[in-house]
Amino acid sequence: MIMETLLKEWYDKINKVKSVEALEEIRISVFGKKGVLAAEFAKMKDATGEEKSKIAKDLNTHKNSLMSELSAKKITLQTAELKKAMQAEAIDVSMFSAQSEIGALHPVMETMDKIVEYFCAMNFEVKTGNMIEDDFNNFEALNLPKYHPARDMQDTFYFKDEMLLRTHTSPVQIRTMMAQKPPIRMIAPGAVFRRDYDITHTPMFHQVEGLLVDDESKVSFANLKYILEDFLKYMFGDVEVRFRPSFFPFTEPSAEVDISCVFCKGEGCRVCSQTGWLEVLGCGIVDPNVFKAVKYNNVSGYAFGLGVERFAMLIHQIGDLRSLFEGDIKLLEQFQ
Amino acid sequence: MIVTRSWLNEWIDLSAVTTEDLAKKLNSIGLEVDRIHSYNIAKKIIVGKVLECEKHPDADKLNVCKVDIGTSIRQIVCGASNVRAGLDVVVATIGAVMPSGVVIKPVKLRGVESEGMICSATEIGLEDAHDGILELDSSIGVYELGQEVCTIDALNDDLIEIELTANRGDCLSIRGIARDLSAAYDKPLIETLINEDEDKRVGIGRILSLSHETQLDVNLRYRAVDIKELTIPLIVKLRLAQIEESRSTDIESLMLYVTHSSGVILRAYKYEFFSSDGESIAKIELKKDENSYASIYSSVRAEKASTIGIIQEDVSKAKDEERTVLIEASYIPPDIISKKMQESKIESGPMYYRTSRGSEPELNQGLDFCLNMIETYSSSLVYGGTIELCDSYEDKIITVTKKEIEEIIGAKIDRVRITKILRNLGFDTNKSSQDNFVITVPRFRHDITHKQDIVEEIVRLVGIDNIASKPFVFAESSKLQDDYFAYKKRSIYRHKAAQSGFFENVAFVFDEKKVLLECGFETTNEELELINPIVNTLDTLRPTLMTGLLKAASHNVKNGINSVKLFEVGSIFSPTREESLKMAFIFSGDKEKDTLLNAGKPRSIDFAHFTQKISDIIGEFELKEHETKHNLSHTYQCASVIQNDEIIGELFRLHPSVQESYDLESTYLCELDFIKLPYGLKTAKASSKYQSSIRDLSIIVPKTMKYEEVKSVIEKNATKELIRFYPVDKYSDKTLGKNMSLSIRFVLQSNEKTLEEEDITSTMETILKSLNEELKVGLR
Repeated sequence: MIMETLLKEWYDKINKVKSVEALEEIRISVFGKKGVLAAEFAKMKDATGEEKSKIAKDLNTHKNSLMSELSAKKITLQTAELKKAMQAEAIDVSMFSAQSEIGALHPVMETMDKIVEYFCAMNFEVKTGNMIEDDFNNFEALNLPKYHPARDMQDTFYFKDEMLLRTHTSPVQIRTMMAQKPPIRMIAPGAVFRRDYDITHTPMFHQVEGLLVDDESKVSFANLKYILEDFLKYMFGDVEVRFRPSFFPFTEPSAEVDISCVFCKGEGCRVCSQTGWLEVLGCGIVDPNVFKAVKYNNVSGYAFGLGVERFAMLIHQIGDLRSLFEGDIKLLEQFQ
Repeated sequence: MIVTRSWLNEWIDLSAVTTEDLAKKLNSIGLEVDRIHSYNIAKKIIVGKVLECEKHPDADKLNVCKVDIGTSIRQIVCGASNVRAGLDVVVATIGAVMPSGVVIKPVKLRGVESEGMICSATEIGLEDAHDGILELDSSIGVYELGQEVCTIDALNDDLIEIELTANRGDCLSIRGIARDLSAAYDKPLIETLINEDEDKRVGIGRILSLSHETQLDVNLRYRAVDIKELTIPLIVKLRLAQIEESRSTDIESLMLYVTHSSGVILRAYKYEFFSSDGESIAKIELKKDENSYASIYSSVRAEKASTIGIIQEDVSKAKDEERTVLIEASYIPPDIISKKMQESKIESGPMYYRTSRGSEPELNQGLDFCLNMIETYSSSLVYGGTIELCDSYEDKIITVTKKEIEEIIGAKIDRVRITKILRNLGFDTNKSSQDNFVITVPRFRHDITHKQDIVEEIVRLVGIDNIASKPFVFAESSKLQDDYFAYKKRSIYRHKAAQSGFFENVAFVFDEKKVLLECGFETTNEELELINPIVNTLDTLRPTLMTGLLKAASHNVKNGINSVKLFEVGSIFSPTREESLKMAFIFSGDKEKDTLLNAGKPRSIDFAHFTQKISDIIGEFELKEHETKHNLSHTYQCASVIQNDEIIGELFRLHPSVQESYDLESTYLCELDFIKLPYGLKTAKASSKYQSSIRDLSIIVPKTMKYEEVKSVIEKNATKELIRFYPVDKYSDKTLGKNMSLSIRFVLQSNEKTLEEEDITSTMETILKSLNEELKVGLR
């Protein structure tokens, strides 16, 4: 029974211990070669028979129970210590709100990418071209005869050698038609130039124009409607699309295309001048004079063109056109 | 082109159509509605008659009026200078809410009771038609005293502004728009009947003769009037204010009104300009002027009166005097006049816009309308008959089959419907057989020249929204060509740049020649230069992207941005104006944002960090000392960028004085030939499975020695096991004097085995030995 009291003392010690190190010391004192249990087991050699086996049994029971007490305590202590250690590493996470260091693409260029992506998926080729053009490709071949009002000095940048800065990407279409045989299905994205500089005009802006040419009587206005309706829904989501007859020298019949206002959902607001509609595209069936200029016979085709800045401004609700050409980081970082 | 409902109503009955429907219809037939404005005149604003008008006893400028408002007579104090007894006026009665928000109440003005207000046009929300209070007359229709003004259609009108396309000169008049609407609504056009009582009139032939030299492509028609007591009716004043146009004299205002109404170009001449005192007949001569424009001359004075379709000389204009006036209606085909203007441009008057887009060729439509108005609103005497000159005009005939029409549209259209649309638009289809249309184009449709134009007419009146969309079936398989790859490459590099922290800049391809020359750039050759730049600061094509980036950086710094990172991929132009694509970067100011990481004090961008950033985007490159042609660069921090033994661009620190002139902190720039940047297939090299080893060597070299020299010696003497080496540290102190310690890290690896210590040592020794022999440098 001495053993009972003796061991009781160690149960208390395990219970009260405060650190993993002190617990280790207790383990050595109890289970070590020179420990309490070893000493108790040593005493057994003086005992005999039944008594010996009883002592052995008691001792083993205590050994197991001390052992489980010890390991349970160890886990408790380790957990507490780890918690304390982590507490010491505590930081104020609210001070570390994330700040990105990456840049961003220009909204106009990114919009142009998105437009090009659509038409590539629809099997259109991408064609670029030079910004400096001649009269034939920019005007004459597009059924804009010399006296047409759109050719006024007011609108076009001319060089001293009678070359000019392209006023639309249509000359790319002319050059493609001259270089390739029909059928043709292409888009021409790029910068274009007009002599206009005010709140709603910049002397340079971007266009994407499209052209499809195939055999005579194959391409109809209904085909043009189909692709443009699909394209505008891809760009602007679920909008209504409206076609209005219009006039362009290089198409006949021609139409302007409106979408229901993305700002007011067609209710009427400042952006759409209370009309509920936004004009986004011009299109039409290619005028026979254009085909005549590139010496195509027995073909039919459609063409369309759009201003990329206008698309970007509508999609991203950007109010000031000129801010797009200032490299303004405060504007650009919103597109990270 | 501005129209109003009441004005249109004079030619087509639109009483059953709402303004909203009208706008929708106009849009659907290709006449784009730009703006709608309703003149909603408030309730309790009524018609009254001024019975008496006396000076206010205590105020010079006020009058005390007795006004009959139908149900009673009210005393109203009025300050307008044109108020007088007998006038029919607009009275805002007690309780009326004015557009300004003011509610009319009984008031005492200088001790005199006033029960209401006599209004001007602007006070009730109309355009500023005339000075002082509105003077009502019969031109606005029949009205009664006490009638609310909002029930008078001519005043309570809706205005519609139409954005006309360049081809529709025929719609530059109220009648023209009404004509298009008559086809769209299938309703007849109301034509004004002219009452001609020729017998009583003196014939114009007794006072005027017209001569011409050769056949000129013009139509002219003259009438004569002795003007007496001409007043411009209210409706004309009001409508001219609505179309925001005005003329200095009454007679010219009337001509403008008739032209806007009918589309016919009218001019009023002083009769005396063409007559001499002794003779009773005035003589007009039509001939070409010195620039060979068809012009009108006074034979007597041998002086020009006007250039047809372009401008009228001031000396020949009729004034507001009670004299004889000649009224001329003219027509000249728009293509002739625009071509002429292209050849030799002369000054043009306000009507040139109409004549160059195609005015109404049916001259009587305007002339009769005009004389009718003069007779109605004055006691003038109109001479009988006209003097005229007609050109020879042949009808335009276009043939098109029903099948052709349907193929272009992509839908079936009924033959009867096609015929009806064309007839309503004024086309003659009488010669057509079953499915083959033979169409005579009316002369006023200058824009119709081939069958596609006819199809367009059908499309717009059928309505594009009524054509079902159809997918196009395309047999050919498109090919992705060079242009697509170029576009894709551009897109990839732009994305990389953005991921590396740069913002994309898009600048105009224009730049300032003066600044560029100062910076030492070569600009477009003088003989190839722009003729008509938009502003002085954008007067040439850019030879570099860097000046644009500097401007943008400066703009951002002014906006309070401390760390500016911008890039641009764009076209630049050589002196011979060849276009090429460049990619350029600018990094200015702080290396990073100010955060906890740098204790709010980020370091400035430096050469090493900038090159690292560029390398993140374009891959590995070498730098070699370089002298730029321009003078933007720091003299001692300037390099050419080399990839695969080819110079692809330059990278440098901005010259301190340029930096200062742009108000920038430490700034670095890089411009690369985009076409030389790597793109396309990459070949993978077999990578070694064996461990690599690293050795650092610190050698003492003179400070003046270039790393390039060290590098070339190592490259020349390295074994194949040396797979990479690069500088990792440089150090100098007093003890080293003119030398410095340069630490280079060597990475060694073999494809065949794990390298033994002795393999490594032997490689390093070879390198050291050659450095010693060739450059006389050694270990520290």
